[in-house]
Amino acid sequence: MSTVTRQTPLAYAQQRLAPKMTVLNGMEVAIEYTSAELEHKRKATLGICDVSCFPRFGVKGLNVVQWLKEKKVEIPPQANSWVKQGDTLVLRLGLNEFLLEDQLDGQACAALCDATQPKAYGLYKVQRNDTALILSGSHVQELFSEVCAIDLRDAALLPNTVVMTQMAGISVTLLRQEFNGENVYRLWCDGTYGPYIWDTLLEIAEELGGGAVGLSCHYKEML
Amino acid sequence: MKLLKCPMNGVRPLSEFVFGGEVREMPDPNTCSDKEWATYVHHRNGAPGMKKEWWYHGPSGTWFIAERNTMTDEVARTYLYGQEDKQ
Repeated sequence: MSTVTRQTPLAYAQQRLAPKMTVLNGMEVAIEYTSAELEHKRKATLGICDVSCFPRFGVKGLNVVQWLKEKKVEIPPQANSWVKQGDTLVLRLGLNEFLLEDQLDGQACAALCDATQPKAYGLYKVQRNDTALILSGSHVQELFSEVCAIDLRDAALLPNTVVMTQMAGISVTLLRQEFNGENVYRLWCDGTYGPYIWDTLLEIAEELGGGAVGLSCHYKEML
Repeated sequence: MKLLKCPMNGVRPLSEFVFGGEVREMPDPNTCSDKEWATYVHHRNGAPGMKKEWWYHGPSGTWFIAERNTMTDEVARTYLYGQEDKQ
């Protein structure tokens, strides 16, 4: 049986930037767009990084908390909150729906995918085909003020809060986390909207002195 | 900008919401008269006043109920279905 290499939902949108690609978790992903020095400048100003290739697992249903506890998953205490368990983000998207995402090439999501069918618990696996981004830099709030109606500044957005809102007219899930000693925002949206959100955010980022950054800018081990 | 409070996600711009119609109790189709059923299917109460309405928050997929004065467009409160007493 042959294995198909998937493309990031942003593949065609990124084509004009001619990034250096690699395959991670079975998906082609941009690791570098330009020189490392320039990308680090962009990251510090306003960097947008495609991390759609990270493994994800979605599940929902009335007994989902019990099922995840049995799988030793740490449960965020309330709806619209998240916790980090090892290298896995656990997002509680409602009372009975969860999204888990391994960072880089973690295996926790794959293990859950292979676990006992959650259907026996009355649960549903939610197929995820997200566009996922890391937004970083000193000008990120200026970007948000152009595309989002709610206040996402540090003072207004409590730690470990998951925000579900619209950005540039499409539905997104958003959180703020500390990553490598700096505050970054994580954003997920439906993969089919990926090229639109990428082009929209990138245009604003470039106006503000930032731009696209490759995975190696955040994860040196990818070089 | 008009704002509405989603009981799960907090205050959001109205553009994130979709109106789902007035909350109306469905008569039992097995026992009600044809007239009652036809009224339920075809008739709507357009008189302004305080009404219970279904609203949907798109980004999170949350259906909830808003009590809104359709004359003044003031929303008295919002809550999840079945959690009226908890608000």
